[in-house]
Amino acid sequence: MEHSIVVSDVVKMYPLGAGKVTAVDHLSIDIEQGEFVAIVGRSGSGKTTLLNLLAGIDRPSSGTVRAAGADLGSLSESGLAAWRGRNVGLVFQFFQLLPTLTVAENVMLPMDFARKVPVRERHGRARRLLERVGIADQADKLPATLSGGQQQRAAIARALANDPPILLADEPTGNLDSSTAEAVLKLFADLNADGRTIVVVTHERDIRSMVGREVTLVDGRVVQDGRTEVPA
Amino acid sequence: MNLMAVKLRRDLRATWPRITLMVVAIAVSLTAFSAVLYTWSVVSRETEQAYLSTEPASATIRFFPAVDADEMAAVAAEARTRPGVIEATGRTQFTSDIEVNGEPRDLQLQVFAAAPDDRLRMARFFPRERSWPPPPGEIYIGGDSLSLLDVSVGDAVTVRTPGGNEPALRVAGTVYDPSLSPAPQEQTGRGYVSIASLAALGEPDVFDQLKLQLGDSTPSRDREAIVAAAREVGEWLQREPGLTVREVQVPEPYAHPHKGQADALLIALLVGAAAALLLSTVLVANMLNGLFTQQIPQIGIMKAIGARSTRIGRLYLVMTLLVAGAATGLALAPGILISRGFAPNVFGFLGIESASLTAAWWTIPAVLAAGLLLPLLMALVPLVKASRTTVRAAIDHRGLGGNPRVATGLLARLGRLRVNRGMLMALRNTIRRPARFALAVGLLTGAGTMFVAGMSARDGMNAVAADSSDQLRWDVTVQLAGPVSVDAVSPLVARVPGVAQVEGWTVTAASLAGPGELPLTRTYPDQGHGRLAVTAVPAGTTMFRVPALREGRWLAPGETGAIVLNQVTLANTDSDVRLGDTVELSVDGEAGSWRVVGTAQERGATSGAYVTAEGLADATDQPVLSNTLRIVADSQDEAARQAVADAVDAQLTGAGVEVRSAESTGRQEASTGGHLEPILVILLATALPMGVIGCIGLASTMGANVLERVRELGVMHAIGARPKVVRRIVVAEGVFIALASCLLAVLPALGVTAALGALLGNTFMYAPLPYRISILAAVVWTVLMVLGAWLATDAAATRASRLTVREALAYL
Repeated sequence: MEHSIVVSDVVKMYPLGAGKVTAVDHLSIDIEQGEFVAIVGRSGSGKTTLLNLLAGIDRPSSGTVRAAGADLGSLSESGLAAWRGRNVGLVFQFFQLLPTLTVAENVMLPMDFARKVPVRERHGRARRLLERVGIADQADKLPATLSGGQQQRAAIARALANDPPILLADEPTGNLDSSTAEAVLKLFADLNADGRTIVVVTHERDIRSMVGREVTLVDGRVVQDGRTEVPA
Repeated sequence: MNLMAVKLRRDLRATWPRITLMVVAIAVSLTAFSAVLYTWSVVSRETEQAYLSTEPASATIRFFPAVDADEMAAVAAEARTRPGVIEATGRTQFTSDIEVNGEPRDLQLQVFAAAPDDRLRMARFFPRERSWPPPPGEIYIGGDSLSLLDVSVGDAVTVRTPGGNEPALRVAGTVYDPSLSPAPQEQTGRGYVSIASLAALGEPDVFDQLKLQLGDSTPSRDREAIVAAAREVGEWLQREPGLTVREVQVPEPYAHPHKGQADALLIALLVGAAAALLLSTVLVANMLNGLFTQQIPQIGIMKAIGARSTRIGRLYLVMTLLVAGAATGLALAPGILISRGFAPNVFGFLGIESASLTAAWWTIPAVLAAGLLLPLLMALVPLVKASRTTVRAAIDHRGLGGNPRVATGLLARLGRLRVNRGMLMALRNTIRRPARFALAVGLLTGAGTMFVAGMSARDGMNAVAADSSDQLRWDVTVQLAGPVSVDAVSPLVARVPGVAQVEGWTVTAASLAGPGELPLTRTYPDQGHGRLAVTAVPAGTTMFRVPALREGRWLAPGETGAIVLNQVTLANTDSDVRLGDTVELSVDGEAGSWRVVGTAQERGATSGAYVTAEGLADATDQPVLSNTLRIVADSQDEAARQAVADAVDAQLTGAGVEVRSAESTGRQEASTGGHLEPILVILLATALPMGVIGCIGLASTMGANVLERVRELGVMHAIGARPKVVRRIVVAEGVFIALASCLLAVLPALGVTAALGALLGNTFMYAPLPYRISILAAVVWTVLMVLGAWLATDAAATRASRLTVREALAYL
């Protein structure tokens, strides 16, 4: 199967005080198209750094990251923004919806940036995406009036705005109660079922029952990479 | 639907208090700037037009004795044919006490006389209700003299002519004469009569002035050329018609007599405007930087979902333009209104009636450019920086400095001391963002500096007035028609009730000249401005304070042949006179040589020179005589002074001593005050906007500081900080910034005060203003800043203290 993401011998170091700390240490990983991968590990293991490298938010100190057909190291900041807009949907722990735009407008905004979806279709597409995540009735409200679970669903709808082949999520359920978290994970599973590549950084153990592959990091290295059995 | 436009609109709505504050801040400073610019353009244009409309004389040649009117007409006609002479006309003038409807006035009337057939083609004045000339028995009064003299058209005024006649003349109309300084400032009324009117009273039909307009086809603006041409005409007048030229007067070409004051006033205005603009620039940079910084998390998210830097840059560019546009729109009308209210005051100071208060066309694009482009220019760096923020930088952004700074490190050591932890935290917070701290403190420091410097310059001006007043160590000045022996008149004066002491002085007009040259002065047509007055100091005087000396020494008792010149004389003289030089001084047509033994600095004084009474007597080959009496009264009450002046006048006149004037020195103080007050008002007016801009800057900085640290404040709540603790910390930060700015303003204020004092003083009185630092201004500013900081941060602190942990941590 074609690789959606290829991480080759990546090292990421951050300056810390007078020295440096290695967040990701000679890490290599391939993720195939349509895989649902969970990156797990303790705090400080390098999970979020790896996700940021996959999203082009961080650049590796050495090694290469290829995703959705692009060598991220060769792209400028502006090029990375355009690449993300077309190929990656990002979901954050704290939702990060723009507070002055309505839920529907938040979903339409990436479409404006990427110009992948024709203008006249954007509103309808946003509505459909919100219906899919179950909050169509909240479309015209401002994010601050929504519950945490609803905001995260809105953020997922925004991540899907340009129909990206890759979804990257950083602790998407970390700020949600258990029942809401379960519903959000179910949503990710449904999206994966559509053939989308999904990488989720999480602490949640329950996710193992949903993902197809679980990668465990310790000190920036992969210590376990196992495929899990997804219940039918 | 453009979602970025929607975001922009809602961002503006969501942050409207800050946006409003920003718009108001820019609008206030732009209003001040535009009002000054409009006023500057109107005053410059109207003053020049008004003064030029009088076709001022390039030079005035004074004769002694005066010349018969017919002969003067022939001389003027002949003069017009000489090279370099465009126009020539004969005039005369005298100064007299005045009675209105039989009631004496404390003031004097300066009467200008011209021939009835003078077509007023030069040295013009403008009769209002009637045309020139007034019929015999009638007089026109200067429009601005009516209220000063409490006289109306139709009243009868009695003047004393040089020939001793005291005719009652009916006020037939008013005159507008923009070539003169305003009558209220000079405390002298102005009247205009036909020479035929005087002749009808039995006065000799004579002129003692030949006014000349010199140049090729248009009047020259080159004073050196004018002096050369005027001297040539003067020498010709002596050589051919055989007239005795007493003095050649060449004032600054095309310069109103109050040009020095007007320049000082406009400089004060420009300094104020430049400071307002500079501060608003810093303020704009500060506020926009805060606004953009607050948006960084959102910029990060937009970038994460595909926005490019240019797209985000455009968003904030439009936001900046909207703010600048709104502020500019708001500033336009008030600027014009303020200018229209303010310009007439400046015209009043100059004695000008403006034809129009409409600002020059170029001021509108200049204000638009300043209002729209300056904020844009200032916003460019923070705008580009913000729009280039990477997602990573946005994620890391927590509204505080990334790495501990050196200063923070130093402050951290204070933690070892037993200092209140909340106060320590506030102190550290103030310098967490060094750039913003520098901008905020820089803004407040700049505003404080200008406020204190403006008020200090005002104190310096007041010190000049106080010093001038201190030099008047007598209460009544009696000007006699001719020199008398003080020994003869002293007993007469001493008998007047209320007189404590009397001294005889000589104060006389003089002119400096090179060897063999005609005496040359810079005297204006009013015979006051630019005139050189020589004071002969009597031996053993107790009514004189030796002025501060710049160089050399003061006069020795009874010293002859020695002279001390003040700085105005040195600046005005046409040759480079230095200490130790010998100068030719012409007094009453008698030229003599004097050695400059000292130069004095007399702020607020006109052109002056000092000799001893014995020295003057020796030079004029006469005994020691006096033309002026200085009297100390028993009471310094103004009414008592004036009563003594009237009584002495009556006593001397009754004894056959002709008195030209007798008046209280309060009149002189009022004249000095009249010259200084407009500049004092301007200095105050330019200082006040600084306070407004400073307070707005402080409010905006603290607002931005709190907004950036919402998460952190939430954490403080989460770990148990009570709302009042959070509030106290935030308010303390504002107060720390205010106090830091006050401390930092000390040195610049000292320097700017000196520079402003030098600029104003040298322009106005050829000497720097006395160096004064207004402690009151410093205290007022510090209190204003601390109170302003308190008020400005209180709203932000209250908001911060009310945040729930949930709100704070979810804040984007």
